[in-house]
Amino acid sequence: MSDVVVSTVDLKKYFSARSGVVKAVDGVNLSVSEGQVFGFLGPNGAGKTTTLRILTTLIPADSGQAIVAGCDVLRDPDAVRCRIGYVSQAGGSDRPATGRENLVLQGRLYGMARPNAEERAAELIDLLDLTDFADRIVYTYSGGQRRRLDVALGIMHQPRVLFLDEPTTGLDPQNRANLWEQIAKLKSNGTTIFLTTHYLEEADTLSDYVAIMDYGRIVAEGTPEQLKRQVSCDTIRITLGNPGQAAAVMQMLEGQPVVKAVAQESDCLRISVDNGEAALPEIMRALDAQDTAITGISLSTATLDDVFLEKTGRSLRDTGAQGGAQ
Amino acid sequence: MKLLTDIRLLFWRKMKETLRNPIYMLNSLLTPIIYLALFAPLLRKLVGVPGLNGGDILNVFIPGLLVIIAFFGGLFVGYNMIDEVRNGVVERFRVTPTSRFALLAGRVLRDMVNMLVIVTVFVVVSLPFGFRPNVLGFLVFVPLLCMMLITTSSAGNALGLLLRDEDRLSPIVQGINLPILLLSGMLLPMELAPQWLQVLAHFNPAYYAVEAGRVLVAGHITDIKVAEAYAFMLPLTVLTVWWATRAFRKAIA
Repeated sequence: MSDVVVSTVDLKKYFSARSGVVKAVDGVNLSVSEGQVFGFLGPNGAGKTTTLRILTTLIPADSGQAIVAGCDVLRDPDAVRCRIGYVSQAGGSDRPATGRENLVLQGRLYGMARPNAEERAAELIDLLDLTDFADRIVYTYSGGQRRRLDVALGIMHQPRVLFLDEPTTGLDPQNRANLWEQIAKLKSNGTTIFLTTHYLEEADTLSDYVAIMDYGRIVAEGTPEQLKRQVSCDTIRITLGNPGQAAAVMQMLEGQPVVKAVAQESDCLRISVDNGEAALPEIMRALDAQDTAITGISLSTATLDDVFLEKTGRSLRDTGAQGGAQ
Repeated sequence: MKLLTDIRLLFWRKMKETLRNPIYMLNSLLTPIIYLALFAPLLRKLVGVPGLNGGDILNVFIPGLLVIIAFFGGLFVGYNMIDEVRNGVVERFRVTPTSRFALLAGRVLRDMVNMLVIVTVFVVVSLPFGFRPNVLGFLVFVPLLCMMLITTSSAGNALGLLLRDEDRLSPIVQGINLPILLLSGMLLPMELAPQWLQVLAHFNPAYYAVEAGRVLVAGHITDIKVAEAYAFMLPLTVLTVWWATRAFRKAIA
């Protein structure tokens, strides 16, 4: 399971623009293990799509090396193409054809015989809930329906690695949740998924491993939990039944090994801990042992946005409008 | 083998589009029929003018129209290409192990089949009007029409792929449309033109095709104009196809 299926060494791609050289990809080192969902997070213009295009053989890198599914992207693009699936931001389904025609053609272009392609298409139509509209012209599809077809096209030939470029951009929350489900399903089938996104929740929910990109460079990487733990600690807030106990409770809590700091806020105590989920039961137990009545408790964990903020000095949520090399 | 299969698959993808909307084919038939009905009668008064003698006037006029059908059959395909680039279709195909040449050839072949259908229907329509082509000569003319279409369709696709924007494609398409038409001698023979215009015409592939078409329809297969047209069109076709295939290979589309 720990085989590396995507790796890059010092990958670079510069574009010349009117304003000067844009370092779209500026020395990127990546390593994606088999079976992982790899989340590639960053604001628009960070260089995610350019990196993806290099990995999917669409454009050559200026320098550096990229190995995908055991083959060199530059030297053996056709071998890479046979082993990967790609769903671009634009989608890729052919509008004047039906969903099923799209799928069968896709399979045939990967060298599948017609009966096999038809069989696999039927399988995917079932798997991705396309049954109701599979034989309609794609022009008539809704955004969410088309997106599911796009994904089906990407996995038609059962690729080892599936590249998804901002798969849920422009989808409503319901369709987004549906697509997340499908992605989780693919993962459970053993497909490695390389996913770019600028949605924090998406990277956090779906990914086993996250790399954060900004201005062509990887600024942080790790599992979402590791990343969040790196930057800030979690916060537990308790509201006491009897505010008069506050001083005594604070003193008791400060003695607990999991607690890093306690502070009093207007009507509650704020407890900083490393790992909120693990600390919560311990704190409850300690409070119980002292017979302290509490009327409220909440846990807020660090988000990937906190990570992004700490690494780049900007919030990911504020960078949406930025243009740049895509 | 994989190459031929890919070309066949991609040809049928586009052909199905045509068959689902055959009305577009009628559209391309409309322009030449309007020329035939509303312009050709004007030429009847000009018989005897240099370049307009020899048999029925339609034997002079229709070869020109056929060249224009072939030329326009490919000129506007760039718009459809831009549409497909925008929807990610081209990108999706470029990530499959499909030959880049097949990506081009599938589209061009569909355009060629469309053109051949239109040419056939048009010739049949013009027979009652008095068009009497020499059969063997006409058969030698058809490959010229095909080369003309392959050239414009390949160039149209490549331009769409490289420009990726209708607003940048339009000036180019409109810019070559009229000069090619006027300098082909299709409407009025280039023999009537002043020297400088005749010199210009010699850079126009459509001019060679029209000239060759006229002598071929009259049955003069060994005329030097036929050899000239083939000598001009063959390398041009090869060059354009090579360029367009390269666009499919390199385009950041």
